[in-house]
Amino acid sequence: MSGPVDLALGILDHQLLDGEGRRCGNVDDLELGDVREGAPHVEAILVGAPAWRGRGLIGRLAAALARGRTVRVPWSEVEKLDSGVRLKNPAREYGLGGGDERARKLVAWIPGAGE
Amino acid sequence: MKKIFEIALGILAAIGGFVDIGDIVFNVAAGAMFQYQLLWAVVIGVGAIITYSEMCGRVAVVSQRAAFDAVRERLGFGIGLLALVAGQLVNLLTLAAEIGGIALALQLLAGLPFRVLLVLAVVALGVVIWVLPFEWIERVFGYVGLTLLVFAVGAIKLHPDWGGVASGFVPHADTSDLAVYLFFVVGLIGAATVPYEVYFYSSGAIEERWTPKDLGTNKANAIIGYSLGGLLSFALMITAAELFYPRAISPETLGSVALGANVPLGEIGLLLAIIGILFAVGGAAIDTAFSGAYNVAQFFGWEWGKYRTAVEAPRFTLAWMVMLVLGFLIIVTGVDPIQVTEYSVIFSVVALPATYIPILLVANDRAYMGAYGNGRVANVFGIFYLVVILVVAVAAIPLMIVSNMGQG
Repeated sequence: MSGPVDLALGILDHQLLDGEGRRCGNVDDLELGDVREGAPHVEAILVGAPAWRGRGLIGRLAAALARGRTVRVPWSEVEKLDSGVRLKNPAREYGLGGGDERARKLVAWIPGAGE
Repeated sequence: MKKIFEIALGILAAIGGFVDIGDIVFNVAAGAMFQYQLLWAVVIGVGAIITYSEMCGRVAVVSQRAAFDAVRERLGFGIGLLALVAGQLVNLLTLAAEIGGIALALQLLAGLPFRVLLVLAVVALGVVIWVLPFEWIERVFGYVGLTLLVFAVGAIKLHPDWGGVASGFVPHADTSDLAVYLFFVVGLIGAATVPYEVYFYSSGAIEERWTPKDLGTNKANAIIGYSLGGLLSFALMITAAELFYPRAISPETLGSVALGANVPLGEIGLLLAIIGILFAVGGAAIDTAFSGAYNVAQFFGWEWGKYRTAVEAPRFTLAWMVMLVLGFLIIVTGVDPIQVTEYSVIFSVVALPATYIPILLVANDRAYMGAYGNGRVANVFGIFYLVVILVVAVAAIPLMIVSNMGQG
């Protein structure tokens, strides 16, 4: 993607992919810096249920009902933007993909689960 | 040559994969009540599903993002979440209907109690999904589902009034009960366009690792596969028009549907019809369970896909398992599978715009699609069918009430 990027359409709610190409969450919200002074810029990507609070009435409701914590991925960790947001390193180094870690135990025992 | 062969295989799978319990129920009931009059509604439905499958398949191939990625990106978190909840409720209802349909078909083969067959059906589905790779699932069910072509042979052997059939493709309402007629228009369009088809088709393009080189295959699968699938719908409606309309019978069981092949073709026709129904509906059950898992995984950004192992995509794996169990729990309560089918189709139409609008928007986004964005033809058809679907979506529930669910 070259040229200007629309934050709301081009980044928010897009797929996050880690350095190994694995899906590891969606961009639930963005943290902006220097909005009042200087040039505003994206400081970090926020992922996780509490981050839905900033996403309107339904988002607040969903955040209240869901558990989980917010993972903050600094913008400097973004390797590339295409239809998704590609990060430089494996998901676990950012604390992403924790839900899959927990769910793995539930399916790994079945023969043929791939482990 | 190899390429042509591959395309042919995909098309065959699409034909068998098009028909599900909703198509069977609505086409047969429409033929029994209105003879050939409603054939045109199937054409509209097939046109819509071709247009939007081709579009979402292309979006998936070019951007590697499937239907519910587009839904969330374009509708945002809040409205996207509402679309997810609505989509999942419809998926569950559809899945429950398909599982019921499998058990009904099994009942025609073996006289076991319905609930035992339900358990058998859901266990068999779980094992098949777990063991077989994605391509195999799609092809086995698609190919064996092709035995439904026996209804096309049956339709011809019943010697329909071809002039009457032809006039069925021109919209006209020769009936005293317009509400019931319109209810069936909604049902037939809804049955051809059930949302899981688009969810599944777009994720399937990623499962099969299509690249822009496969865009021709995408187009051929959508256009030829679904058109020929539409032929099966015509055949079902015509056999019902021949067998039930003159006697004013409303076929209320899957057994009477199979008569459409049994009467003209005897025992072998009956057997092929039941096998066809079993595999077509079984395939649809798997597609629906997967769609539920795709949607939730895409909305929340989880790893997904049958091309990943269960360990690599554990939440996705749990999600399809939960879908199967919930679908089973709905149908095992003893609700009538045919009624569940009718409700699932009507509610699907209502939920459909929430999927079609984001797909149309993303397919027009050059930043996303580059040179592969919608051309004029795709947009003309896309907007036309979106308008049709919006009208049908708004009319669905009022018509359901006024026509007393098509009972008049």
